[in-house]
Amino acid sequence: MLRKFFFFILPVAILLVACVPSSVNTPQPQAATGIVQPTIVQTQPTPIVLTDGLGRQVKLAAPARRVVSLAPSNTEILFAMGAGSQVVGRDELSDYPAQVPGIPSVGGSMGNFSTEAIVALKPDLVLAAEINTPELVKTLEGLGLTVYYLSNPTTLDGMYANLEAVAKLTGHVDETSTLVQSLKARVAAVDTKLIGVSEKPAVFYELDATDASKPFTAGPRTFIDLLIQRAGGTNVASTLKDQYPQVSLEELVVLNPDIIILSDSAYGETPEKVAARPGWGTLAAVKNGRVYPFDYHLLSIPGPRLVDGLEQLAKLLHPDLFK
Amino acid sequence: MKRISPFLSSFLLLLLALVLSLAIGSVFLSPAQLWAALIGHGTQTSDTILWAIRLPRTVLIAMTGMALSGSGAAYQGLFRNPLADPFLIGVASGAGLGAVIAMSINWPYSFWGLLAIPMAAFIAALLTVFVVYSLARVGRTVPTTNLILAGVAFSSFATSLTSFLMLRSTDDIRRALGWLFGGASQSNWTAIIAIAPYLFIGLGVLLVSGQALNLMQFGDEQAQQLGLNVTRAKTILLISASLATAAAVAFSGIIGFIGLIVPHVMRLWWGADYRRLIPLSIISGATALLVSDIVARVVIAPQEIPVGIVTALVGAPFFLWVLRRAKNQGYW
Repeated sequence: MLRKFFFFILPVAILLVACVPSSVNTPQPQAATGIVQPTIVQTQPTPIVLTDGLGRQVKLAAPARRVVSLAPSNTEILFAMGAGSQVVGRDELSDYPAQVPGIPSVGGSMGNFSTEAIVALKPDLVLAAEINTPELVKTLEGLGLTVYYLSNPTTLDGMYANLEAVAKLTGHVDETSTLVQSLKARVAAVDTKLIGVSEKPAVFYELDATDASKPFTAGPRTFIDLLIQRAGGTNVASTLKDQYPQVSLEELVVLNPDIIILSDSAYGETPEKVAARPGWGTLAAVKNGRVYPFDYHLLSIPGPRLVDGLEQLAKLLHPDLFK
Repeated sequence: MKRISPFLSSFLLLLLALVLSLAIGSVFLSPAQLWAALIGHGTQTSDTILWAIRLPRTVLIAMTGMALSGSGAAYQGLFRNPLADPFLIGVASGAGLGAVIAMSINWPYSFWGLLAIPMAAFIAALLTVFVVYSLARVGRTVPTTNLILAGVAFSSFATSLTSFLMLRSTDDIRRALGWLFGGASQSNWTAIIAIAPYLFIGLGVLLVSGQALNLMQFGDEQAQQLGLNVTRAKTILLISASLATAAAVAFSGIIGFIGLIVPHVMRLWWGADYRRLIPLSIISGATALLVSDIVARVVIAPQEIPVGIVTALVGAPFFLWVLRRAKNQGYW
């Protein structure tokens, strides 16, 4: 028995251990290779140093020219500020705007990214988001890549701050300050129109109703809740405890929302189907026909389209004020 | 097939799987590039891919396969049950619960912070085995039926608790699911160094326990009469098998099927002598998991399917084919 151990297992173990190179290649961060600079990139004389969402200090000698985005929110942010041509890789779930599907994918649909594909794209910046795990950030760091982790914002100001951070990293500071100004102006316009409005409709934001007797909704401490209130409504689920609670139909009847927003309309839910659900016909929203389909991307992706979402919500909640 | 030494053929298959795992990945590297990277003259990209990505991953996957399959064979011998796998008495569910609890806390981004989840999984797995063992003990003996029943009950409890926690913190559900499906998400040298001692101790003990397992096939009473201290043997086997499994699960998540099926294939091919079965299972477990991992990486590249899904998808047809062809059916 032991003889076999020494003759077969130990050599395998030794072979495997010997395969560890005495000086494991720690690749240095990629120096700039002669890639044509997009004309809109501004060259910064000083290196860029920022602290990311995980508390890590990230240093870039110059604005990044090859960026890999690991989350749909990051892809949207990059394109919104005009850095789209610098995106060389994206995660599988990114699909907005229209040019994105043409960019090579690096995996991520089942949570696992192909680190080989990321490395092969030779990026000088990898943008991660809260949807990516810290383990992934550590792995990419260990491969010599520069990674910046954007935490999910909890307020609109947090979203602007994220935009500004990415702007510094990619060299689009001017465009982004214009973008942020226009976003702030649009939000301010919504706020102004809502001054003095006393009637705030009760809104039920449906996330998923595969089981129609127990739909999922967005509760307190979510952006959806924040923006519903900003759009001049109240979220019926904000009195509940969980962030994404599953509400029983009985509770919903008691809460009796004035408006139902179907964020799962992309998955086939329609106002007609909602009216046909057993027990839902008694809800005020269904009786008054105030059940509206909604593009869930506008409120679920922490990027500039949140402002679009706010405007759309305001239109649905106060159609008389927002033509 | 009887003429070839089982060890030689298994070892050669393992070598082949190791080489393929280093050569194949979602980025295509030609043999020339691979050779250049091996001798140190490759481009930075192929060097990084080969040495920093594929090599640690290959080693970690091989070690995980060894642990799962070796302890699976030991469990099958210990419980005298063909359905026994390393997760029978709750290692998987305990580790899952530990990991999900750890995921709900925001650990700082530091060396120890990133090790928090694997450590929590490891400790929880061992705690579960300890609790199940204590629950199953009757006086000074540990009846195997009690172990199985206590293990199944506690597993169900831990699994439902895990599901509940996952639903409560929907932010982390993706992370938890990814971990539960298995895969080498943290395949770096830290992970390998962390689990190596437990693996060597656990599997090393199992390797020399072949004779004890053979004796136990006759039943507890017979084995006792043949001179084996049955309770002590059971305890030692349980501890070492669970140690190896817990270490494997801590970093790789729950990878099912390998621990159950590889020992059976070895048994069908080479017989049920545990002195041979344990080492053969260990070697072939590494091969099987390496092959599954290659498939998981390549099939829809650059997407990576979690390894735990591929093991059953690829392994089940293979096992059924082996089963149909086996001449010594009914060996149980």
